[in-house]
Amino acid sequence: MTTDERALLADLRAMWEEIDPAPPDLATRALFRLEVEAVLAADTLEAELMRLEEPLSLAGARGAETASETASSITFSSTSLTVMVTVSPATAHRRRLDGWIAPSAALRIELRTTTGVEETRADDDGRFVFADVPAGLVQLTIQPTEGAAIHLAGPVRTPAVEL
Amino acid sequence: MAAVSLERDGAEAHENDGLGAVADAFRTWRAGDPAGLEQLVRLLTPTLWQLVRSYGLSRTAAEDAVQTTWLNLVRKADTVREPRAVAGWLSITARREAWRLTRVDGRSAAMEPETITNLGDVPGPATPETLALAGETARRLWRFVAMLPERCRRLLRVIAFDERPDYGRLALELNMPVGSIGPTRGRCLKKLRDLMEGGSR
Repeated sequence: MTTDERALLADLRAMWEEIDPAPPDLATRALFRLEVEAVLAADTLEAELMRLEEPLSLAGARGAETASETASSITFSSTSLTVMVTVSPATAHRRRLDGWIAPSAALRIELRTTTGVEETRADDDGRFVFADVPAGLVQLTIQPTEGAAIHLAGPVRTPAVEL
Repeated sequence: MAAVSLERDGAEAHENDGLGAVADAFRTWRAGDPAGLEQLVRLLTPTLWQLVRSYGLSRTAAEDAVQTTWLNLVRKADTVREPRAVAGWLSITARREAWRLTRVDGRSAAMEPETITNLGDVPGPATPETLALAGETARRLWRFVAMLPERCRRLLRVIAFDERPDYGRLALELNMPVGSIGPTRGRCLKKLRDLMEGGSR
């Protein structure tokens, strides 16, 4: 390649980066998806995967959807549990999650977000709250818990969803 | 972050260049430190985006292609024989996935015969908003690029971000003999240069 050709290609590179840049959060989204995949891969056979009942974007499957301004509900289900989550905006970039597990049981719940993992425990009616969660991708895991009304054979995991 | 150009020309690769950092990140990850994978994803996602967008994929399909590429790397990392090969491996995987998506879902128009198109007809690139936000230099260059045949645009965009793509695959995709890639690249760049010189007179 000639020097002029190289220079022109460098200009083209700069131009495309400016005109059509990758979405700024694409790398973060890809990493979250890899993390969830790794967690699932590390599970032994007893982990149970929930299905998403309400149409909402799956992790990484769809790009630019933004969280709605009003509360919305998501339902996950598997053979042993149903989890309903209501999402409402806390601030522009934070969300509140109000959840309900059925059948009701005081189970431990882990919430994986792009910034880390939080944990809480449902009350005896199966209700739980994550009051301040970063907007973006999240994934819930319901863990077998001593003293809960239901005995789970292993962790129950939701797919990752965008809040 | 600026996209890393996948130049792997000759032996003059420096350990401090983009590809050196990529190889280091891969080595770190394979040695058991997940921070290496994160660095790799952050370094190369902008480049992979550019490569898959050259296939005319929608933004949503392009995101799918990039994510699938990273999932494939995690699943098949053992097949990457040496750290400096990882960029090339990702480029091929991303372009294979982009090509598959254009075939399977008809997400991109088939390669058209060479015709001059105007800006409004050019598929894929920027939304009107990003075009409006871009600087004058970029917008001006884009207008000339938009006048090139689609085959030229795709070839130049791939080569701008991966200087040495596997020519066999590229030839198949662009429906031209392998031996024509180099000369076509030269002709496309010359055509662009001529347009720019004509446009600035």
